[in-house]
Amino acid sequence: MTLVFGLPWHIVFPTLAGSVLVGILCSLMGTMVVRMNLSSLGFAMSHAAFAGAALGLMLSMADPIWLAVLFSVATAAVLGPLADLSRMNTDTVVGAVFPLAMALGLIFINKAPSAGVGSGALSLLWGSVLGITMQQVMILLIVLAVVLLGVAAFGKEVLALLLDRKLARASGIPIRRVSYGVLFLVAIVVAVSMRVTGGLLIYALMILPASAAFQWVYDIKKVLVLAPILGVASSLVGFVLSMTADLPIGSSIAVSAAALFLLSTALSPKRRRIG
Amino acid sequence: MDQDIAAGGAVCVDPVIRLEAVDAAYEGEPVATLRGIELSVAAGERVAVIGPNGAGKTTLLEVVNGLLPATAGTAWVFGRRVDREGNWLRARIGYMAQELFFEPSTPFLVGDVVAAAQYGQIGWLRRPGREEKARVRAALEAVGILDLARRPIGRLSGGQQRKALLARAVAQDAHLLLLDEPTANLDPEAKLDVARIVREIEARLDATALVVTHEGGPLLQDADRFVRLEAGRITHDESIAGASSMLAMMGV
Repeated sequence: MTLVFGLPWHIVFPTLAGSVLVGILCSLMGTMVVRMNLSSLGFAMSHAAFAGAALGLMLSMADPIWLAVLFSVATAAVLGPLADLSRMNTDTVVGAVFPLAMALGLIFINKAPSAGVGSGALSLLWGSVLGITMQQVMILLIVLAVVLLGVAAFGKEVLALLLDRKLARASGIPIRRVSYGVLFLVAIVVAVSMRVTGGLLIYALMILPASAAFQWVYDIKKVLVLAPILGVASSLVGFVLSMTADLPIGSSIAVSAAALFLLSTALSPKRRRIG
Repeated sequence: MDQDIAAGGAVCVDPVIRLEAVDAAYEGEPVATLRGIELSVAAGERVAVIGPNGAGKTTLLEVVNGLLPATAGTAWVFGRRVDREGNWLRARIGYMAQELFFEPSTPFLVGDVVAAAQYGQIGWLRRPGREEKARVRAALEAVGILDLARRPIGRLSGGQQRKALLARAVAQDAHLLLLDEPTANLDPEAKLDVARIVREIEARLDATALVVTHEGGPLLQDADRFVRLEAGRITHDESIAGASSMLAMMGV
């Protein structure tokens, strides 16, 4: 039997594949989140996904990730229009949803049957090296296919929106439909990715590789390619770090992504030109 | 009564702009920014919109292209109601917002900024083809920045950024231009340069134009007519030729 990091390959492979897929998905959507200033909404969604998964755990569901998807999408459906219509400060949105989602998540975990609490609850919070099955890898693959299809079909509308919201609207792009579409995809990506990094750290993989990519290039099309590469790099370094040093995988990926971001900021050609 | 002035062109309707008893207000504003606006702009006309700060000049432009909905009255452009066909119309109106300048770190190249102006026209699920790409090139050439096509937009000077935004109108093949202070915050040389390009684009596209300005100079001199707004109402609507006292007041 082939051993990798002292574990059988068939156990390591799903986590490795899951980490790579999550790296691509999160950083690709992260590019849109960063450029469209949706960070606060996405942050709220990731915590809602955590609360949903915790409820699934409390209800002893076979796969609590479906409730995570439901909670995350519902948060996008409610907060997106709310922030849009009431011109609500996004900090207010986070301030309202973040503590509520965390409180609900912890209540659900507290009320979960004791058998499910241990590793299940921890993996929802911090991710799990061995918590990923081939079925979950398939779900990630399907979501990646949907995201890539969406980008291929509506790429020009998304690009117009990433340039400038008002300019996009002024050139006849139905910006509300496009931005809700992006928000909906972000909600799904956040929820299905939390199995790897955990609900609390998923956002590191969404924001940091995308922000790092913005430090290197001026062409948005190149950013959309570079960000997933940096996302996969963060995931792989985090994966190896987790396996070799016996660290939680979510934290390892978050630390790798943060290191990559700091390095990119320090070495950014944009920074040199400005300075 | 609307009248088609060229065969086959849904955008060749006279008058190009028609506002009837239009009121408009920004969200949360207790008082309407525009009140009882009646305005008709003929095809090929350039109308300069002047008036003090806060008079409603920018609001007028935003009502014409539907970025701000009228709270009363009706706005028509190219014979279509703005409140019903806003996206279709906006895809065919060249609009330059006053406050829009790109940050130095903006991750878009000049060519892509100009190309994006066509995306609303191209429609869902279609990609820009050879014809659209040729139009972007021609637009960049028309405003004299073809050599800057691969440069980041945020690295351009204010005058060059204005030219890139004007190139968007050319790429759209827009027959109506709504320009909000196109020469604001530019140095004197760039002002003249941008004003010249506006003139050239109008001729090239055979366009009608509504140009907001609070300065004298070529933007006003080139106009056929001026409309003065004060506190949301039109107080003067005259041809430039018959408005020597007003122009003198503005130091032209």
